[in-house]
Amino acid sequence: MLLHIVGATVVFGALLASATSLALARGEVRLLRLGYFSLLLVGLPGLILMRLSGEWIYRKQGWGDLPHQLRDVAWLRIGFVVADGGAILFLLALVVGGVGIYRLRSGKGGEGLLKVTMVSALVLAVAYVVAVWAMTGKPGKPGVGAAATPAVSAGNPAATVTVTATEFRFTLSQAGVPHGTVVFKVENKGKVAHDFSIGGKTSSLVAPGKSTTLTVTLAAGTLLYVCTVPGHAAAGMKGNLTVK
Amino acid sequence: MSFEDWIFAIHLLSAATLVGALVMSWILTVALRSVETAGTTLSFNRVAMVGATAIGVGLVGAIGFGIWLAILRAAFHPWDGWVIAAIILWCIATAAIVRAVAEYRKPAERARALIASGQTGPDAELAALNRTTTALLMRALASVAIVLIVIDMVYKPGA
Repeated sequence: MLLHIVGATVVFGALLASATSLALARGEVRLLRLGYFSLLLVGLPGLILMRLSGEWIYRKQGWGDLPHQLRDVAWLRIGFVVADGGAILFLLALVVGGVGIYRLRSGKGGEGLLKVTMVSALVLAVAYVVAVWAMTGKPGKPGVGAAATPAVSAGNPAATVTVTATEFRFTLSQAGVPHGTVVFKVENKGKVAHDFSIGGKTSSLVAPGKSTTLTVTLAAGTLLYVCTVPGHAAAGMKGNLTVK
Repeated sequence: MSFEDWIFAIHLLSAATLVGALVMSWILTVALRSVETAGTTLSFNRVAMVGATAIGVGLVGAIGFGIWLAILRAAFHPWDGWVIAAIILWCIATAAIVRAVAEYRKPAERARALIASGQTGPDAELAALNRTTTALLMRALASVAIVLIVIDMVYKPGA
């Protein structure tokens, strides 16, 4: 994770340096060269580090093994689009900028091509801001299963289930509940933070030794419940609740 | 996204801006070491000002939204050991960055003076100022402190 963050911030820093140097160069050859070589010598290694460590996290945390509705989340899609689509734009910017630098050296201009590189770096920097927002805010963070039509009013729960979270399993006080509004009392008796997701709703992150409640209206059927902290479901924090 | 999620996202965006701008400032610092003329020094200074502004925004955003988040989140508290460690490291990083920025004002002032007196060629004093060791050490200290903050934030020792 640390390598992924370091790689991403190195790329972001190189993009900032490149875009700013190229934008403020005003014909100064050293700044134009600085703008290009920031991308090549700093940004490119950062991009490789970020992408490889990101892929390693994806495999290590077992995202590929998760159910489709958990894996197919907006923030992860944004991350992949920015990383992979961004890599293509990054390489194109490098090629165009490389030609620009070559033309600059041989006195045939090249500033126009470096402007294209500058615009690309700027677009990529903005895309990375969006990716950081998506990776941290996690828009579209999934709940699991479908919420049902309310059968019981929220003030009159059909059942109350105590959910005990440890590393890395959930223990529920009952294996089945009647359909309608169910209150889950989530207690974290583990050593790291966990949450509990079911029926399209996810509890707040619960610190070790703390607890929270989650009220969900459930339809009859078998519903998957998981901890949505990356890697925890794959490690065993998932199961099925029978709703009658 | 909940209100808390937004605060968290802005906190991390600020942190990303800070670390990204620090990487940018390192690129400029290394490149500036071979600069000997007033015009080029001032060109680099224009870019460095953007970097310094981004560092400032990142420093303020990271600490402000970070403390807000520690208050908002039931799982964490501002007095948790790892949060206090991050605040102390943030103070060290800020002090080092302020000192480094002050050091890099000197070559810019010298370059302006040279241009005012009509000297556009290489200048030994300017070259020496561009290779300032104090600023380099301060930037290195700030970088180490910020890397330690990132490690502290990722692994949250004691949380």
